[in-house]
Amino acid sequence: MTSLLNQIATITALNLRTIPQRGWMSIATVMAVALATLVLLFFLALSNGLSKTVEGSGADDIAIVLREGSNAELNSVVSKDQLNILATGPGLRRRDGAPVVSGELLVIVDGIKRSTGTAANMPFRGISADGISLRKGVTITEGRMFAPGTNEIVVGAGLLREFAGFEFGKSIRLRGSEWTVVGVFEAPGTVFESELWADIAVTQSLFDRPNIFQTMRFALNSAADLATFREWAKADARLKGLEVLSEREFYAKQASQSSGIFMIAAWGLGLTMAVGALAGAMNAMYSSVAARASEIATLRIIGFSGVAAFVGTLIEALILSALGGLVGLILAFVFFHGRTTSTLANSSFTQLVFKFDLSPSLVASAIVFALVIGFLGGLFPGVRAARQRPLLELAG
Amino acid sequence: MNELFLVRKNLFRKPVRTVLLLVSILIAFLIYAFMTSLVTSMSDFNTKPTRLITLSKINFTETLPIAHYDKISRMEGVAVATHMNWFGGYYQDPVKGFMPVFAVDPETYFEVYKEDLPLSEEVKAAFFKERTAMLAAEPVARRWGWKVGQKVPLNSNIFTQADGSRVWDFTLVGTIPTPPGSSQTGSVLIHYDYFNETIDIGRDRIGWIPFLSTSAEANDKVIAAIDQRFANSADETRTNDEATFNKSFAAQLGNLALVLALVVGAAFIAILLIVGTTMTLAIRERTKEFGVMKTLGFSSGSILRMVLGESLLLAFLGAALGVLLAVGLLAAAGSMPGAPPLHLATPVLWQSALMAAGLGLVTGVLPALAAYRLSIVDALSRK
Repeated sequence: MTSLLNQIATITALNLRTIPQRGWMSIATVMAVALATLVLLFFLALSNGLSKTVEGSGADDIAIVLREGSNAELNSVVSKDQLNILATGPGLRRRDGAPVVSGELLVIVDGIKRSTGTAANMPFRGISADGISLRKGVTITEGRMFAPGTNEIVVGAGLLREFAGFEFGKSIRLRGSEWTVVGVFEAPGTVFESELWADIAVTQSLFDRPNIFQTMRFALNSAADLATFREWAKADARLKGLEVLSEREFYAKQASQSSGIFMIAAWGLGLTMAVGALAGAMNAMYSSVAARASEIATLRIIGFSGVAAFVGTLIEALILSALGGLVGLILAFVFFHGRTTSTLANSSFTQLVFKFDLSPSLVASAIVFALVIGFLGGLFPGVRAARQRPLLELAG
Repeated sequence: MNELFLVRKNLFRKPVRTVLLLVSILIAFLIYAFMTSLVTSMSDFNTKPTRLITLSKINFTETLPIAHYDKISRMEGVAVATHMNWFGGYYQDPVKGFMPVFAVDPETYFEVYKEDLPLSEEVKAAFFKERTAMLAAEPVARRWGWKVGQKVPLNSNIFTQADGSRVWDFTLVGTIPTPPGSSQTGSVLIHYDYFNETIDIGRDRIGWIPFLSTSAEANDKVIAAIDQRFANSADETRTNDEATFNKSFAAQLGNLALVLALVVGAAFIAILLIVGTTMTLAIRERTKEFGVMKTLGFSSGSILRMVLGESLLLAFLGAALGVLLAVGLLAAAGSMPGAPPLHLATPVLWQSALMAAGLGLVTGVLPALAAYRLSIVDALSRK
């Protein structure tokens, strides 16, 4: 056993020491694996960043009510009567005797994407005075909150970074009336930062949607009250066709819908590139085996086993691919980790600003991905190395 | 024994190596052809230079009053106009059964989208006549097993009927054939009048107004005239030609061109390295052989041509296989229900040829020059 390990160590050392002779080919293998890993990580980091932002927006002690089957806020319609009935429900947190509630209406307005100069869908949300306290982590960092009953807008800092047209102090003409941006708010790592907020009543009247809401938010006494509230709403015939979700459930559902396309791109493109890199790695390893044919043959004659030749080749391939994975990871961290970007979230049909995010589990999948390429790339060349007939090689 | 014969023989003297190189080249061209076609298809399907679209200036999800349609159809430079509404339709399941259902004005819709609707006069007449009639693209009808003449209940994820019901019954009067490249692969068409009378909110409002201009040269003038006419009203408009509208919609997903360039760039750098280093090795292995050939009277020029020919042949073979595979995958992806029409973007063909030529030259030029310069004495004495 010890001797086999010694043999493996000897052959591996021989392989690694001769890498410089095949320098360019080894570099090509490392780079091919690095680029495949980079492409995989690019889309995984997009998907992860998007999910994290959407999921990070949800709390357990906030209930969201929308039209059943509408799947997205934009399609939902809830009437004022239903809002009033819901506000009498059990488990709701009250402030000065009145429930903390916000009936909301989402309309989409155009903004200009700074990086491309093209039009993009911005969520313009009418909220009640309680709307801001119904969202965790929101702080006004510039200017002030909109005054109820006025054409005033506050804008999310994330939206402002990526899109033009809603700068602090600016006047905007929408449906024939002037709106003024009076404040900027921050809510790091949430979808809220990608929104524009205005007074619900003004939004309803100026966008010609009198008494129509799309979603309603209610503060609950505690997360445990959600079930009570939901059961109560289900039992009331006047609230038929409405769906009650916790804010966390609502955003978790949206996250899975939105990030799906990036997961498909990540694994579709990543695996396709992996096949290309694998072909390159196999090629390099076959060449490596061929280049050391006489050395391996000599070792076999003096008693080294085929297994050692096989393992030595495999280890060389694994080291090259691990190096490739590492280079890919470093490039990913340098080029896009933490960078802000935006996409059309398909659940809300509006732009969502988020950051590329490389989590530890993504780093682990990248390393495994690279090692699998190396393992497969070294497998068959390793078998060839083990099966070489020593005397024939030396005679040739 | 001509040069081409030798090139072919040389290329496949180490079949495993050649196949592996072909696979990596194929992958790069597959990614390039597939991704480029995908991005192009998003903005390129069945556009017509004279077809324009008027939408709300606020955003295309905002509606316009129906009066806008009447005004626009009477404007100078407008040949024929129609209007469409998004129904938010689904069949049985809100997610799996989701489909693009449009409430249209039947007669004018068939004029504006004439080329995309190769239907018989009988089917057209049946659709025009019956208010609850519905047309569905063939793939949609096939997927759900709908037969012509059948009643189909469709739900809306937006609208509710006055009686509180969210289900509308339509009669399928025909299917829309969808030849390759058709823009109607997922569409379901219903009557605007029926839709408008039964919905609870947003009555007498329309989603957008597609129309044909009298000529493409008149487009700019018509666009300016329409948008000026509604400027400073509650419902301002934005008018674009179809291609511009599709492009700006695709741009919402992100900077697709940049992502495309990055991914394709990564794939090509990888194969450039792999093929380049392998070709160098393959030619170096044959040094002695070149010495023998030169001794036999092969000119340096003909050896240069043979080496370059080999790398070019390799690149073109790989590119052709990659593009072929892309065509197959596009057809497969495009035939999935709800998928947009997908086909190989024509520029991909000549661009791939150009890129293959570039790849072949770049990877072959150094080994070829080395072989060209080789002196017989050096070649034969090298171990």
